[in-house]
Amino acid sequence: MRMRIHDSNHSGEEVPLFLDDRPLTARAGENVAAALFASGVKALRSSPRLRQARGMFCLMGSCQECLVMIDGRRALACQTLATAGLHIETIPPTSANV
Amino acid sequence: MSEFDVAVIGGGPAGTHASLAAASTGLSVALFDDDPSAGGQFDRALRCELASSKVSTFFAHSVWAVTGAYRIDAVGPQGPVHCTSRALIVASGTTERVVPFEGWTTPGVIGLAAARILLNSQGLLPGRSTLVAGCGPLLAAVAAKTLENGGKVEAIADLAGTADWVRTLPAMAARPDLLLQALKWWRTIRRAGTPRYGRHSVVRVEPASEYLRATLAPCDASGLPLNAHRTTVLADCIVVGHGFTPATEITRLLRAEHRYSRGAGGWIAVADQDGRTSRTLLYVAGDAAGIVGAAASATCAMLTGLACAFDLGAADPSRLKRRMESLRGAQRRAVRYGHAMAALMAPSAAHADSIPPGTIVCRCEDVTRAEIDAACDAGAHDMNQLKAWTRCGMGPCQGRTCGDIAGELLMRRVGAPSREAVGYFSARMPLRPVTIEALTGDFNYDDIPIPQAAPL
Amino acid sequence: MSTLRQPSGRPFDVAVIGGGVMGCTVALFLARGGMRVALIERDGLCRSASGVNAGTLTLHMTRAALIPYAMHGWQMWMEAEHWLGSSVLATPAPGLSLAFTLPERDLLRVRATARREHGAKIDLLERDAAVAIEPGLNAAVLEAAFSATDGFASASLTGRAYHVALRAAGVQIFERTAAARIEQTNGHYRVHGPETQAAPIRIDARRLVMAGGVWLEPLFAMLDIRVQVKTLVNQLIVTERMPPVMRSVLSIANGLLSMKQFANGTVLIGGGWQGIGDRLRGPVETIPENLTGNLRLAQYVLPALKKARVTRIWLGLESETADAMPMVGALPGRNDAWVIGCVHSGYTSGPYIGKLLAQTMLGETTELPLFDPARLIAGAPEFSHREWTQ
Repeated sequence: MRMRIHDSNHSGEEVPLFLDDRPLTARAGENVAAALFASGVKALRSSPRLRQARGMFCLMGSCQECLVMIDGRRALACQTLATAGLHIETIPPTSANV
Repeated sequence: MSEFDVAVIGGGPAGTHASLAAASTGLSVALFDDDPSAGGQFDRALRCELASSKVSTFFAHSVWAVTGAYRIDAVGPQGPVHCTSRALIVASGTTERVVPFEGWTTPGVIGLAAARILLNSQGLLPGRSTLVAGCGPLLAAVAAKTLENGGKVEAIADLAGTADWVRTLPAMAARPDLLLQALKWWRTIRRAGTPRYGRHSVVRVEPASEYLRATLAPCDASGLPLNAHRTTVLADCIVVGHGFTPATEITRLLRAEHRYSRGAGGWIAVADQDGRTSRTLLYVAGDAAGIVGAAASATCAMLTGLACAFDLGAADPSRLKRRMESLRGAQRRAVRYGHAMAALMAPSAAHADSIPPGTIVCRCEDVTRAEIDAACDAGAHDMNQLKAWTRCGMGPCQGRTCGDIAGELLMRRVGAPSREAVGYFSARMPLRPVTIEALTGDFNYDDIPIPQAAPL
Repeated sequence: MSTLRQPSGRPFDVAVIGGGVMGCTVALFLARGGMRVALIERDGLCRSASGVNAGTLTLHMTRAALIPYAMHGWQMWMEAEHWLGSSVLATPAPGLSLAFTLPERDLLRVRATARREHGAKIDLLERDAAVAIEPGLNAAVLEAAFSATDGFASASLTGRAYHVALRAAGVQIFERTAAARIEQTNGHYRVHGPETQAAPIRIDARRLVMAGGVWLEPLFAMLDIRVQVKTLVNQLIVTERMPPVMRSVLSIANGLLSMKQFANGTVLIGGGWQGIGDRLRGPVETIPENLTGNLRLAQYVLPALKKARVTRIWLGLESETADAMPMVGALPGRNDAWVIGCVHSGYTSGPYIGKLLAQTMLGETTELPLFDPARLIAGAPEFSHREWTQ
């Protein structure tokens, strides 16, 4: 079953993106977090001490869980509109358990 | 630097209505909103009205500082901007509250408000199949909208029982349109055969091959799981929300007086019926002033915009007062309904007791309930000491996700008489995380203003 | 009203007013030396300067004359588990003080010489050597002063460590108890808590230690002593957790930048840029131009930082006397009241100076001298305006 709703408000122009160099397709008007979610990519990063998988949660720019690199900048995926050719990279885990 | 009579922070319905009302009296108004889509998820007619008004809009601008009385610093697509204003209206809305349970940080578990954003503004179903859980009117709204768009809703788990809903009927009667809307949602839900588990709480989520398995437990009136039969539900996406907390970062940063009110959703600025806070020419509008719901938000925000204009010495004050009086009736009715809905989502102090010790409370810093309890036992008796000793609240969400829960846990662990007794995380700049390069802009070494060197 | 004394009914042997690093350390060593100690704190332990400072353990920043004290303090923080019982994550790291202009280079050389004269081992490095130690450094650096034994600690953990140790030592801790009035009666001191409390408390003690930081001036006034204590309002900035971008403690010759990256990945930026605040209201508000200035310095020194997101900015209150030197010792003409405080880079040397005062009060011999408060009290000169504070 597809997750995208097709109606008059959402017209479906395709937007190509790259996630860690892997090509994906979003729809015009989607934010990057929602686009990845709809493509089945739910884990976006790791938590700092316990290294648990984390993904989008609040979709409002509040929880900070969807932090990724977008065209070389640290950015919240849910606050970034999907535009053609965007390069998204997941941020690898860094620090020790402190 | 641009100067305005009024700056409004937050471009949702409340901020928009407050801006339009203030501008209608001839004042210069700046409206800041950080939504990158610059369109919001609501009312096109209202957006059109805003576009054709004299309000200066700064969409896709994140306000990171408010200082003085008042200087607003923001970062937009073209870099840093700032302006000054004589008055400030804070319409920053709310943060959704989710009381942690085992596995709540698993990817695929999202907020109720997040699901609404997916459905309304992103044109997406939350999942191939969805469990909708938590409390409040948003449960039925999200479930029904998912079903209407061809999604499957495996179940609805509601903390509230039928009796809780029946108690809201008198207030609902004041808004027959909203009552009708709710009945339509429930008709959709019943037709789809989606079971509703009243007085049930999600106590665990775990991965189950490509799905998520949620465990539901019957709970008491405060949300505490009972020792009774568990139900498991398999779904692609778990949607959960336990009400909303007013966003008070700005009013606390500006040192307005605040109080704690469960009915209002948490800490709120002490304010009169028109949103005047304890600080001169600082106002709150919309749900940021205390949960009242969309309809009441709009009316109250209009009154705030007009009150602000009145306080700034607008022309024809008696006509302004008459305009405000004409809105009082609508304000009363809408607020009554809003308060009833807010009561359904009010946080219960005991709900936090259901959080198992090994469960993450601070997502940003991976701080568990056990670590919070240990810090309390070691002598942390207020929120800022708790934060210093555990790192809870030190992450990039700046305590928005964990602060309310941490306050509840701290209060109960140290036996404090109230949430006021333990306080809240100090509000700090930046109001949102912002990159250093966005703050520094282009510069040379000589541009940096150097004060006198320190003594040897 | 309840009058608090020892369980035996006698006055405490000493009341320490002020629960920062200074007061906590004095209280700890006095208790271990056999005294019955009351520690009186207006907020929570180490919630002011001691808990919110940058945690820099450096010999570059310190007043040259305080170098020997800082070196001892550095050692104590590195061994905190031994004498304090828990760690504040004190970490040794190389320290680089940098010069980007010729005037800065001259200043660097003068400072390095002064510090060497007081016992610090500081070498001057050319650019390539500095960059070898800190690869992310801006290559425009002219010269650097290098100390192999700098370091940093997590100041926010300090309160918890002292809480546990003080209770274990039998110290009676009174938090959320601001001293409102001090009576001298019947051969002992009586410290009164705020009258507004439901059950106002008063604490009787034979001796008094004033360790109130920026609040020393009003505390002294309670004993009818006039001492001017200036309040500095220092800005601090911290980023989110970042991948490793630096490995030394960095500063600039003019003293206006300090930076370090903790094991948790966050980068803490300081440098004494001033904000708005005072001892009555506490920290109030950041000054936007000072925030920009501080961050521009940080970004200039370590360009990789520009991608980092700032998550928190705060202000800490630091005390300073008229001659910018510490005030540690007996109050003039008294053998039962002491003061400790106003130490620049006081977090580094705090445990050592606190221990020195405790040893003095216990009649033990001490390795280094204290800092006679008398010079600041009787006929103190008009406090001269310092331009280094905005």
